[in-house]
Amino acid sequence: MYRSQQLALKYLTAAIALFGVMIIAGLLSACYYVHPDLLFGILHFNIAKILHIDTMIIWLLMGFMGAIYWFLPGEFGRELAGIKAAEILFYVFCVAVAVVAVVFIFVQYGGSDEAALWLINQGRKYVEAPRWAAISVVVVMAVFAYNVLGTAYAARKITGVTAVLMVDLIPLLALYLIAFPAISNMSVDLFWWWWLVHLWVEATWEVLIGCIMALTLMQLLGTSRRIVETWLYIEVALVLGTGILGLGHHYFWIGTPSYWLAIGGFFSALEPLPLLGMVVHAIYDAGTHRMKTTNQPAFYWMLAEAFGNFLGAGVWGFMITLPQINLYAHGTQWTVSHGHFAFWGAYACGVLSVVYLVLQKTRGLTHVDGALWKWSFAALNLGIVGMVGGLLVSGVAQAFVERAIGGSTHAAFIAGQENQWFVEGMVTRLVFGFVFAAGYVVLVWDMVTLGKRLPVPAKLQAAE
Amino acid sequence: MFDDPAFWRAGAISTVAVMVGVLIMLTVDSLAVISPGGAHVPPYTVINQHIDYKFDTKRGNDVPVIAGSEPLFGRAVDESAAEALIDKGKLVIQSRACINCHTFFGNGAYYGPDLTKAWIDPDWDTWQAITGTSTREDAMVSFLIDPERYRTWTRTMPNLRLTREEAEATVAYLKWMAAIDTNGFPPNFGRMGPKR
Amino acid sequence: MTALNLMVTALSLGLYVALAGSYGLSYAIARLRGGGNLPRGPLIIYGLHGATAIFIVVWTPLQIGWKGLIVASSIAFLVLPPITWRFLEYTHETEVSG
Repeated sequence: MYRSQQLALKYLTAAIALFGVMIIAGLLSACYYVHPDLLFGILHFNIAKILHIDTMIIWLLMGFMGAIYWFLPGEFGRELAGIKAAEILFYVFCVAVAVVAVVFIFVQYGGSDEAALWLINQGRKYVEAPRWAAISVVVVMAVFAYNVLGTAYAARKITGVTAVLMVDLIPLLALYLIAFPAISNMSVDLFWWWWLVHLWVEATWEVLIGCIMALTLMQLLGTSRRIVETWLYIEVALVLGTGILGLGHHYFWIGTPSYWLAIGGFFSALEPLPLLGMVVHAIYDAGTHRMKTTNQPAFYWMLAEAFGNFLGAGVWGFMITLPQINLYAHGTQWTVSHGHFAFWGAYACGVLSVVYLVLQKTRGLTHVDGALWKWSFAALNLGIVGMVGGLLVSGVAQAFVERAIGGSTHAAFIAGQENQWFVEGMVTRLVFGFVFAAGYVVLVWDMVTLGKRLPVPAKLQAAE
Repeated sequence: MFDDPAFWRAGAISTVAVMVGVLIMLTVDSLAVISPGGAHVPPYTVINQHIDYKFDTKRGNDVPVIAGSEPLFGRAVDESAAEALIDKGKLVIQSRACINCHTFFGNGAYYGPDLTKAWIDPDWDTWQAITGTSTREDAMVSFLIDPERYRTWTRTMPNLRLTREEAEATVAYLKWMAAIDTNGFPPNFGRMGPKR
Repeated sequence: MTALNLMVTALSLGLYVALAGSYGLSYAIARLRGGGNLPRGPLIIYGLHGATAIFIVVWTPLQIGWKGLIVASSIAFLVLPPITWRFLEYTHETEVSG
């Protein structure tokens, strides 16, 4: 195994562990809606939520990095350049994440000064980590970019997939710099902040997961390089062709010119089209392999990626993306419903697919199947659908009661939150959150024991 | 041609180039509109004025209406003092991670109410009586300094240890924000029942 | 927009895309099963999608431009699965023979 692949294992392990932290923080956040006095004066909703959304970003990012570190030696035919620096920085990354989390929990906030932004909490969604930690993320990602670009240079070799990856890494890294400034003007702040968030999760991350899925398909299904590269270019064209100006669907209400309503709504409405293409493609792959591969969980999680992406990002997104609807749905639990479903489908499922593929190789298994992965697959997907469904009911109720009927005031907000449909939706979300958490426990159990579980006949033989 | 990846690579590159080019052009235009004094965002000294929110039949949505003198805390401020207040207010909002309970222009978290038009929320009239103050801004400051004292609902805002200076800056920030033209968000503000 | 319009329009839009996806899914499954003519399943589902599109155009208070986008998107949703499928077969066939 290349050192890069050993590092990949570390990143993927850290990713799965952080996935668990994300779930705990998510359950806690969900509990406040049902028990508002929970931990009052000790830990409030905003801190729990910060932990939940920030660990989400980081576990997915670590998953992507793990996947790339795993696949790239095979692409370049050699060890990655700068691997020693990357190995050290993995630990720096983990320590930084841990310190930031501890400070979030035990210090929580400082005064309204630069020191607080540098050391405690920057208070901008998804990028709350203090600046010192943001610097460490930049360093980690810069070395990661060097690992990829430097190796391509040293090997004098570029493939279609690595070319797309390398071009994608540059805006990915550059956009993260938007995590640093404290901009007084909220309109300008959010304008640039959406460049980071949207052009990450609806552009550069989509290309990144596309590259990872291309590499996965080559290994899992033996698909030829030429085919995956052709489809990768098509996907990049369609996803970025709709997603770059689809950024405008975040520019409806932040003080920006009203032409964004037309531009953002139009391009955003086109975003489901490439996702439908991916569903058709997934069925083609599934069918031509008769739903049987040497790694069933990797295969099924990849199918879940295609379907989840279409449903969560495509269908749920389309419901609320036209400006006439978004005016009422924006900033409600309807958004939360879409966000959970989209992140799950577009990214989480893909990372889980890669983890199973990697485990097949590291545990030396010719075939990966069994009961455990099916239980976790069922529970995790049932959990997410239940959560999303509950949030949809709450969100529609909120848009209806608070916005359409109530006049969007503080009193209208309270009326929406106390509406019976809203309350029951949030309870449903919490219940299915526990189902999801149970699925995670089984997932981890399966991943830890994969290949180490004795088949029954061997156990009986050993007992004799 | 269609089975050659190079064809699709060219397509991807040209598509991305065009879209990025358009985005950059629209960004330059938008930044002018959203800078203080731009078409949609008033200068910070708007905190010296009265702010209202009325339906504009030509545009088909609510727009802020800025007219008349209404200094905050009884004292009008010049441009640099107003900017200092806004800078401070934003630092408060970031340092206390307000956006992780509340929304601003609908962005943030959904546990607390949206603060886009908090300055002109009709509830503040009642709050003056509750807090024993005589102006909206003093009611807001009293609340922000000790929100746990004014629990009115099952969900209570925690005390985030704001100083009086920080609370005043936050109120100034919210007043300025309420004057931003958000293309009609939030809808139906202050008007019960369907609009049309 | 009234509260009722809001709910019905938004849910119709979601149903519209969900049915487009269902059509794509059923089309792909039908192609996998082989046979010359397309079976009724995908056509019925697309018919439901089309009915949803007509409902959105006729009943909802969206402006004419957005209704035009719905109609155009329905056409795109109709042709996208067959074109994707044909291209998938083409790229895999040329791979085998090339």
